Amino acid sequence: MKGMDKPVKYAYFPGCKIPHHLPEYGQSVETVCAALGIELVPLEFNCCGWPMRHDNELASIFSAVRNFAVAEEAGLPILTPCKCCFGNLKYAESRLAEDGKLVVLVGRLLAQDGLAMPKSINVSHLLSVLDEQVGVELLQRQTATPLAGVKVACHYGCHALRPGNVTGFDDPLAPTLFERVVTALGAETVDWDLRLECCGHPLRGRDGVIAESLMRKKLENAASVGADIIATACTYCQLQFDKERDGLMLNDPLRKAPPAVLVTQLIGTALGLDASVLGMEKNCIPWRVPVLQDRTL
Amino acid sequence: MNFFDIGFIIASVVCAVGIVRRLARWCGKPTSEVSVSSLSWHRRLFLALKIFFLEILLLGRTCRTGRIRWLAHCLVFFGFMGLLLFHAMDDTITARFFPAYESTLDPWQFLRNLFGGMTLIGLALMVYRRVRLRSLRSLTRFQDWAVLLVVGGIILSGFLLEASKIMSPAVFDVMVYDYFIPEDGSDITALKAVWAKKYGVVFPEEISDSDDVFENGLSLNEDSCVDCHSDTTSAFISRPLASALHPLAPALNRSRADEVFWYLHISLCLIALAALPFGKFFHPLTTPANLMARLGRRDAAKDDVPSPAIRGLGIDACTRCGECSLHCSVGPAFSVLGNSNILPSEKLISLKGFESEASLSGQALEAFAEGSRICTECLRCTDICPSGINLQDLWMASKKAVSKVAPDSNQAIRLMEISERAAPFGECSLPPISGLADNKESYLACVQCTTCTSVCPVVAVSEDPSRDLDLLPQQIMNLLRMGLKEQTLGARMVWSCTTCYKCQEHCPQNIRVADVLYELRNTVATRLREGECADERDG
Repeated sequence: MKGMDKPVKYAYFPGCKIPHHLPEYGQSVETVCAALGIELVPLEFNCCGWPMRHDNELASIFSAVRNFAVAEEAGLPILTPCKCCFGNLKYAESRLAEDGKLVVLVGRLLAQDGLAMPKSINVSHLLSVLDEQVGVELLQRQTATPLAGVKVACHYGCHALRPGNVTGFDDPLAPTLFERVVTALGAETVDWDLRLECCGHPLRGRDGVIAESLMRKKLENAASVGADIIATACTYCQLQFDKERDGLMLNDPLRKAPPAVLVTQLIGTALGLDASVLGMEKNCIPWRVPVLQDRTL
Repeated sequence: MNFFDIGFIIASVVCAVGIVRRLARWCGKPTSEVSVSSLSWHRRLFLALKIFFLEILLLGRTCRTGRIRWLAHCLVFFGFMGLLLFHAMDDTITARFFPAYESTLDPWQFLRNLFGGMTLIGLALMVYRRVRLRSLRSLTRFQDWAVLLVVGGIILSGFLLEASKIMSPAVFDVMVYDYFIPEDGSDITALKAVWAKKYGVVFPEEISDSDDVFENGLSLNEDSCVDCHSDTTSAFISRPLASALHPLAPALNRSRADEVFWYLHISLCLIALAALPFGKFFHPLTTPANLMARLGRRDAAKDDVPSPAIRGLGIDACTRCGECSLHCSVGPAFSVLGNSNILPSEKLISLKGFESEASLSGQALEAFAEGSRICTECLRCTDICPSGINLQDLWMASKKAVSKVAPDSNQAIRLMEISERAAPFGECSLPPISGLADNKESYLACVQCTTCTSVCPVVAVSEDPSRDLDLLPQQIMNLLRMGLKEQTLGARMVWSCTTCYKCQEHCPQNIRVADVLYELRNTVATRLREGECADERDG
């Protein structure tokens, strides 16, 4: 059987970085969702507002809320594969709920664009949809080549997890969602100290030294517990662990630390999808051959 | 040398100098890293042909952004090209390929009206789009109206010229003098009768309309005129225009309106020729060239990094259609901040200024830098651009240079000495952003337990946090609850916060530590922004 009994339909919110900076995520998300029966409807969204939150909160919130208005016009809930997009959209939702003045300001800005303040807001991260809508059982059933023996360090990503009362993603201190999805594919997950820590990407361009130190510390920790790969489910985290890491010196030992793999590439591989439709050749630090050759390939 | 020759020489010289300057600007840049996609020559040839027909001749890319816009552009493109090739350049093209060519014979007379009418309808659609779309209207600049006005003026003056010639007895007299040998005195009257009735000339005197005279006139017309003159009804716009102007005809004829409109028509054509290398007037040359250079690509892949000359061509290929700005991902930031440099089409104009010798300064530079910074590099403008401009590459290539001369708030703070960072704004007169940081209740519960500091990953990677970060999170909270906000704004802890929210999640007293740090950064960004605006106002 292919996919779910009842197909679920979402407005697809890839976020700004996927089209140019991480096309493999967009490609693998679309492929895997299609294979699992999740219908993604492309709408013309704008920026989630996260990058401009350092500069101007109103601009950030308006950007986020404008997307809710666009989704409501189409009558669809939003699905985003990016945790920073998810986090800022949820933050905007919480700010609207607590600040009446902001609602008025944003309402006025929306009206300029011919949009109305959305009555309901419905945003999900890809992982939640995989866990709640698709479900572990179906993932197990659809897995054609179980990733047996692959040790996966799940990297949660901050902005979906915290603040827990705003995002409502999972238990912010002891989440289990990501591991549930990965073990359904037949892989093993490892417990690691820095599982819930920041990848460091938010400081890229602001404080490069600390951005790299955070990345280094996390990768070393994942390597020390024997992980084969680090699984990510966020555009920025993957950019940090793959593209930014690739900018290190050629002899840097960190290059040998576990490669970063997008959760959709992992699922796609387990589903038996072809490497090319998962954008695997675009990963800077390859993982498929080095990690899987002795196991499932 | 007559008016036309002198004007044509001046306009051509201005045009040529302008083009040379543009080319020099494209090619004068030092060569940077360039990579060329490795396509075989036959693949390139195939793509080039495809681009020529689909994207240049049929404006396929414009069609992607809207059917009405495509229709408007096609009407203007084909209409104007028709006029340019078969009417303006009739000596060199039409007469050569069609030896029997006379401008007043059909199909040329009809085609001139058809092409002119197409162009006018297209221009009207373009004006309508620019006025109707609020966001586009606000972005419309002088050059946008200038192109529409000059092209529209050429076509309108052309129709007026043709209409005034149709009705002019003076033009009739000249033609009769040159091409007609009357056998007796009544011949001219007979011919006038035909030309008044059939061709629409408005003579000042009463013209006999008896059948005999008219019959005679018709045969004279047959002998002397019809070889070069089709019925003016085929001029399906100019002839009705002449009829509409009938009440004014005596006055127009007396003042030789045909000559006035000739000067107007020629002047506008010469202005268009002279303006060709300036602003948007250049796009009929640069846009096809850019589409060809891009060979149909809509991305900004690493295997296709353009040379400085191709970048320059790209900057100049903008038609200012505004599609990029209408679809910009960070458009909402423009709605809030009001800086038009956030939108691609406007940022491109600033980029042109930034790249040329007369580089930007002051507020214009700050505005451009903000636009450059806020761009999320989402590729949408590049994907949608009907001119195929590699905007993504232009934004990414200029970001570093811009931030160097116009640092953002984060860089500005980091450029300060320790003593300056302790109170970066001294006595600030700007009103505070009302929010968490100024509200003492936000910290009433803080017991200085240092949980925020001990869970902070940024503090954890520093060997000496007070050296690297100035203040620790709990120290910032302490200063804030004492009302010493100014002392916290320059602390690098505020600026090196990685926004992971661990402090806030773990705080046993539910203090919104990370949200407060965001707000402090917002405060500095706003103050710098408004401070620069104030500096500019003050002089």
